[in-house]
Amino acid sequence: MFVPFFYQLRDAQIPVSPTAFLTLQRALKRGLVTSLADFYTAARSILIKSERYFDRFDQIFAHHFEGAELPEVEAFELDAIARAMLEQWLQHPKELADALGMSEAELQRLSPEELIEYFKARLKDQDGRHDGGNRWIGTGGTSPVGHAGYHPEGMRVGGVSRNKSAVKVAMERRYKDYSLSGPLTQAMVGEALKRLRNLIPSGPKDQVNVDESIYQTMKNGGEIEIVFDRSLKDRLKVILAIDNGGWSMDPYVTLVQTLFDYSRAQFKELKTYFFHNTIYDTLWADPARYRQPKSIRELTRLDPETRLIVVGDASMAPYELMAADGSIHIEERSGRPSLEILKGLSETFRHSAWLNPVPARLWPYTQTISVIGEIFPMFELSIDGLEKAVNHLMSKN
Amino acid sequence: MVNTEMDADCATFNGASQYVLDDELAKIVNISMALEMPLLLKGEPGTGKTMLAYAIAESLQMPLIVLNVKSSMKLVEALYQYDTLTRLNDSRFGDSQRDVSDIEAYIRMGKIGQAFTADRRTVLLIDEIDKADTDFQDDMLDVLDQMTFDIIEIDKTVKARQRPVVIITSNAKKDLSDPFLGRCNFHHIAFPDPAMMRRIIRVHFKDLDETLMENAITAFYQLRDIDAVEKKPATRELINWIRALTVDPDFKPKRLVKGELPYLGVLFKKSGDLERANQTVRRRRLF
Repeated sequence: MFVPFFYQLRDAQIPVSPTAFLTLQRALKRGLVTSLADFYTAARSILIKSERYFDRFDQIFAHHFEGAELPEVEAFELDAIARAMLEQWLQHPKELADALGMSEAELQRLSPEELIEYFKARLKDQDGRHDGGNRWIGTGGTSPVGHAGYHPEGMRVGGVSRNKSAVKVAMERRYKDYSLSGPLTQAMVGEALKRLRNLIPSGPKDQVNVDESIYQTMKNGGEIEIVFDRSLKDRLKVILAIDNGGWSMDPYVTLVQTLFDYSRAQFKELKTYFFHNTIYDTLWADPARYRQPKSIRELTRLDPETRLIVVGDASMAPYELMAADGSIHIEERSGRPSLEILKGLSETFRHSAWLNPVPARLWPYTQTISVIGEIFPMFELSIDGLEKAVNHLMSKN
Repeated sequence: MVNTEMDADCATFNGASQYVLDDELAKIVNISMALEMPLLLKGEPGTGKTMLAYAIAESLQMPLIVLNVKSSMKLVEALYQYDTLTRLNDSRFGDSQRDVSDIEAYIRMGKIGQAFTADRRTVLLIDEIDKADTDFQDDMLDVLDQMTFDIIEIDKTVKARQRPVVIITSNAKKDLSDPFLGRCNFHHIAFPDPAMMRRIIRVHFKDLDETLMENAITAFYQLRDIDAVEKKPATRELINWIRALTVDPDFKPKRLVKGELPYLGVLFKKSGDLERANQTVRRRRLF
């Protein structure tokens, strides 16, 4: 029974195992399920093993049993992208109008829904044609630092509802916040960063392991055998470099900083620096990037075992990265391209990682992300990504 | 409650005196019991994961056995312990009733062992499984699957007399290993919404002033929204806070609306968080 349902779940990339499906059959056979509501509850608790898939399950369920409109898998992603981009462009209506190839007046006539539809059509359109840095998906050379001014009247993003009717419970989409495409919450990052604890034994073997000593003594038939352990020491030094320059980083700066500050106690040393877009000759210890410069040369004198963690979207105009005087800040003209500085840093600190809040599937669209990704191991700023990053930072070589 | 053709001895669960149960969760508990599968509960702290096990035990009138998982724990500790020290002591001084040559006299059952050897069906709560490493988790599920384990020292197999009702809780946002998940039923308890919270508070405070409850709950959800707080206040903190407010003779519920929030220390347990909360509250009052 319900075999097509099973395959629909699998098609939506929900990991459902055949064993779990058989368990569900067992529940059905034993008469535990007497209504559709029961089936919903039973199927979800037996088949779905993570709240992150609850939202998707709800949608498939509503589709299968009530014929609700099923958003294409592609649409899952497009929705999120479209919304994020629109929010960005709300700050700069003129740019948006230019990019969509219409006048500002025309733009204002569109409702948000129409705009998103139009926008997605264009997005799909260009998917096939380009793969390099392009002004649609990357930020291709636009570094919106100022504020453009006004919002087009009545424009509102978010809360665009796609589906209206169907099985009520499933359609409420109560688990949207937990789904994979949901926003990264503080708790989620905190969970992943807990893995930063570096409890690799380092000190001399100078602590008596009482339990083990007693056990070994017993095994020896009462002959005293004392077992020593290394004392566990957490000797991790961390340099955190955060790109706090642009709109794209805004939601994450405080988040990342707070989390590292909370875990400060477990590091031997934590230094936080700031930069804009990419690193030139200087990092700044103050968020305004003005008062406390720190020369990159000084960094190279630090312990090479220090973990360097860069947090940034790595999205900028290619010349900012490659050109010798690429900085968009006039006082940062150094004569060396940022690319070389980054290479130098990754050679100095063999344990380094770049955390990128841009979803990994969008990386190929921005040229500078690919370039920086070759210098630093790059990880997505998500639970999975952070965990991989931490594993990478903890690895011995 | 749906209880059609289950075995006569397989009681169903309807909630207990101190626990507010939603329908969905009750169904899941019953299905897990009928399928004899462990139920894995996830959710942020304070959503009542642990309390659920207590409530099940109370309502089914089964004894509850709690295994609090610790990070350094080895599986064998949860199963049984071979008390070598007592045996050594007995063999040197020989002043006990035990037979030193009989190792079995020195085997003590751990929590899982107790659940297996109990005369009655028990509720076994394995609390905060995410603290232990993956090997522990997988090995434990093997034991719970087979319902047997071996005591190596005396080469004896312990078999469960009655399959316990197994409830496992996890705080982790990270997923547990696939083989582990494969053998559990899963439910995620969301943080209660204000309506649910009202019912929960009602259960704990039978005759609480209506305005006080409303204002306290409103303030509580606002406080939970403060950014960059390490440990958000949960249900337990709210209950304690209301308790503190009710015992203070000088306190007037109206003041909560004005933004005067006393005893924030009951809600925020970390000094950084408390400071942040105080700042936010003060700033709001100025406006």
